[in-house]
Amino acid sequence: MRKGVKSIETKHYEERDSFFDGLRRLDRRSFMRLAGLSAGIAAARGLVTPQSFQLISVAEAATPSAKPRFSFAYISDSHLYKKELNDRFVRSLLRSVDDINRLDPQPDFVLYGGDLAQLGQKEELNLGREILKGLKAPVRMMVGEHDWFLDMGEHWRNLFGEPQYSFDHKGVHFVTLMSVNEKDFWTERNMTPMERMQTVAGLDNGVQSRFEVGPAGRDWLKRDLEKVDKNTPLVVFSHSPLYKYYKPWNFWTEDADEVQALLRPFKSVTVIHGHTHQLLSNQLGNIQFHGMLSTAWPWPYAPEGLPSLTVPMNRTDPFSNFDGCGNGRMDVTQAGLVDKLYNLWDRNPVTVKASYLASGGKQDRPPASKLPPY
Amino acid sequence: MHVRKTLGIAALGLGLLLGSLATWQTAFAQEPAPKPQHHVPPSSDGDVVVAMCDGETTLEVEGVKDPSTITREKAQAISDELMLAWRKKNPDARWDAPPRRLVAQANPPQPAAPAANVQAGHTYGAFSERDEAIWKESTEQAVREGHRVFHDAKSLGGTVAISCDMCHPDASNTHPETYPKYQVQLGRVALLRDMINWCIENPVRGKPLADDDPRMKAMEAYIYAQRKGVKLEYGKH
Amino acid sequence: MKAISFAGALTLASVALAGDAGAPPQLPLGLSPKLYQLTVPKPPTADEALLGEKLFNDQRLSVDDSVSCSTCHDPFKAFADGKPRAVGIKNQVGQRNSPTVLNALFQATQFWDGRAATLEDQAKLPILNPIEMGMSSPEAVVAKVRGIPEYRNDFQKVYGREATYDDIASAIAAFERKQMSGNSRFDRFLAGDSKALNAAEKRGWALFNGKGRCNSCHAGNAVSPLFSDQKFHNIGIAAHKQDFTQLATEALRVVRAGDEEQIDRLALETKFSELGRFLVTRNENDIGGFKTPTLRNVGVTGPYMHDGSLATLWDVMDHYNKGGIPNPFLDGGMQRLGLTEPEIDELVAFLFALTSDDFKALEKKELARQSARKSNRPERDTAVAMGRKGNMGDLAPNPDVKNPADLGLYGPVGNPEK
Repeated sequence: MRKGVKSIETKHYEERDSFFDGLRRLDRRSFMRLAGLSAGIAAARGLVTPQSFQLISVAEAATPSAKPRFSFAYISDSHLYKKELNDRFVRSLLRSVDDINRLDPQPDFVLYGGDLAQLGQKEELNLGREILKGLKAPVRMMVGEHDWFLDMGEHWRNLFGEPQYSFDHKGVHFVTLMSVNEKDFWTERNMTPMERMQTVAGLDNGVQSRFEVGPAGRDWLKRDLEKVDKNTPLVVFSHSPLYKYYKPWNFWTEDADEVQALLRPFKSVTVIHGHTHQLLSNQLGNIQFHGMLSTAWPWPYAPEGLPSLTVPMNRTDPFSNFDGCGNGRMDVTQAGLVDKLYNLWDRNPVTVKASYLASGGKQDRPPASKLPPY
Repeated sequence: MHVRKTLGIAALGLGLLLGSLATWQTAFAQEPAPKPQHHVPPSSDGDVVVAMCDGETTLEVEGVKDPSTITREKAQAISDELMLAWRKKNPDARWDAPPRRLVAQANPPQPAAPAANVQAGHTYGAFSERDEAIWKESTEQAVREGHRVFHDAKSLGGTVAISCDMCHPDASNTHPETYPKYQVQLGRVALLRDMINWCIENPVRGKPLADDDPRMKAMEAYIYAQRKGVKLEYGKH
Repeated sequence: MKAISFAGALTLASVALAGDAGAPPQLPLGLSPKLYQLTVPKPPTADEALLGEKLFNDQRLSVDDSVSCSTCHDPFKAFADGKPRAVGIKNQVGQRNSPTVLNALFQATQFWDGRAATLEDQAKLPILNPIEMGMSSPEAVVAKVRGIPEYRNDFQKVYGREATYDDIASAIAAFERKQMSGNSRFDRFLAGDSKALNAAEKRGWALFNGKGRCNSCHAGNAVSPLFSDQKFHNIGIAAHKQDFTQLATEALRVVRAGDEEQIDRLALETKFSELGRFLVTRNENDIGGFKTPTLRNVGVTGPYMHDGSLATLWDVMDHYNKGGIPNPFLDGGMQRLGLTEPEIDELVAFLFALTSDDFKALEKKELARQSARKSNRPERDTAVAMGRKGNMGDLAPNPDVKNPADLGLYGPVGNPEK
């Protein structure tokens, strides 16, 4: 470097080179510190010339107090058929696994949200398990109705164990519910197991019973929660939404009120649910609800019953195999609630924060959609 | 809501008395007489009680506190109830109901005349209820067939076991009322059946149906049937 | 037969709009008055366009007098340069392919990453770029132009004042607004002359709208004749060369680099150029996304893609046929197509039919050059394209290849000649 006045180009190149060099070597926190420093100096000197390369703040300006306790990722509703019949769903699930494996830092664990198979068949469930084995982080499984009603959960139990369980992680109590039980509608109609499964698989036929956790499940939940201190943050995994959204499509849990009553005494409660294949957010009382995306296909929003806190996602484009689908990540906040990142494929990710729900939609509102479904 | 009638005759008598008193008094213009009073019983719940102009009918509106603001529809409903009560009391009054909707109509609503005076002799135009029932059933049959095809991947000719209802439960998000419109996926203006065929080719992965294929027609019937009453809005995106 | 009458109607339509010197000019066949109306606020005057032409061809606008706009946007080469990537002063090679100026006036944004909103904004940047024309600042350019006697009168006449940088850009843009191109065999076909396209080209048009899945991004019809949706898609070209995923992951922590000029330099000088639209919008969705280019005159404006990495249209077909290059940000619309060799030939034939009649000689030359390379196909991967290998599958069983023009709704709905 020669002394004296540098030409604008030279100065520019030097700055740019060091900028990019630095970029490569920094981890995110140091990077932001540098960014802050540089911006401060630049501002102080009134330097906003086009020729200088200054670091300004990063896209998500995360303040130290908002750093999450920990994060976990999710994949949900992959509805696999056997590979020879339909490889598109397989591809989507593989893409999900790649997405999550690429996360840096890796999530603490990955939740699988239910409906691994489309028709509950052994080969579909086995295929799903093989694919999920590719995940680097540990996996927690949750069962959906498509996995269950062919053989009433026999193969699922063989592969993944009991559908209802709980565990503690870094001070948060997690409960996985089996919330897609249905009252017997098949015996009186003399249905074969496959017919029963096909009926449950159809969203709009109205023949199947509404989902419920059921008395046994609620009992289990009650006993499990008795041992948990009311100040412990509680996160509940459920396939069905645990509230009443739209009955004709079984976006519904029949005993939602009783289940919510069991959860209400806790200070921070979040319910993470699948089944709805769309961006869905709700708060009822002190309970926050986040829906998970599907990897297979998106549902449109129901004609009525959409929670007012949900900022709908844009109508999907069927030209893309992946539009409206995706996976995501949940950051458990210091307060014990959940910020949910929807990693929508082919779109910008959308974050729905706990603060947005808690404020009744007044702050941190996620971006609006331009194309509503109709 | 319930209507409470005050003691009719007593009130009427009182009213008449006071009325005549008032007239006599004003005739003599000595001192202002008390005006006829409509005795409005207050509500025990603090609800609004509406008094009618006949001097005797009142209506307690349950659930609406006094004072409060109500919607237009609610106000109309209250008014209707009172009118109904009055008309029950005065069946011989020559009361003309105002037309509900002041829309330019080629045929203004007929008075409640017996159904006898309908043009006869026209083969097509003179259809009976029985005819209508039969025609309706034919239509419903097409709609049911459409429902079947819509929900059945094999019927559609799909090769990946994906049926229309998987993305469009109850034919939601098919929005047939927006066609014709420029369909981005096709790169040109399209009608509903063009988009149906496109969907069959792409997500459903089958061969597109011919324009006159009965399955196509049935599906269109089903889709339109699900959107009954929705305003037509071609070109909407 | 409606050929003459439609063309006549179109002429009448544009004549009806015409008025004085600044009025909309005669549009070539195939370009729609509506599109002109939407994109050109005020038609350029003849004087301004003439001045712009002079500037466009003037090598003195570069720092060492060697490069003009027309160096990379050569009127005799359909306003492109036939090179994979642009070459500026001192033989420096940039990162991007030079797009054609023809019909650029109809584009919603300029540059492969859409960083310039108007033609004027676009014209200002290459002049200042150290790799392209190398002038050090707008003031330097203005000083140089003011020092050229022949421009003094011109600027006085057109703008009533001495040259300013905005005026220079405005003049160049005015010239560019006159570079419209239509009048191809396809336009005549759409207007009703069913003999304008031969059988192979017609089948190509049907494939374009069917199995080829081209028309979603490259839609072409009477009102929107650009064959481009003006949006930005990642089709995997960027993932060709380097460790794109790594680059993209880094990029997700990237900062905003400031204003247009900085982005301009990033776009042209560094490997971050491959991030495309992301550099402009910083949307995660736009990583590796580049603007859908127009397909008009595509036959004569090779090599193809934002980095000129595909030499012939057959290479382009191979790229799409296998579903692009998988990368985490690949546009969801990309999937393998399963096109056979004859189908590929037909599609290419159709694309050549989008060449304006003005470039007949160039078209012949290009077709010969590209056909000669037909057996050398580095991009081809038949196993993937046919779905035997890999994961890019998703293809309908061969649909009946009905000619979409027969279905109407692309151009004026006339009776097709059977």
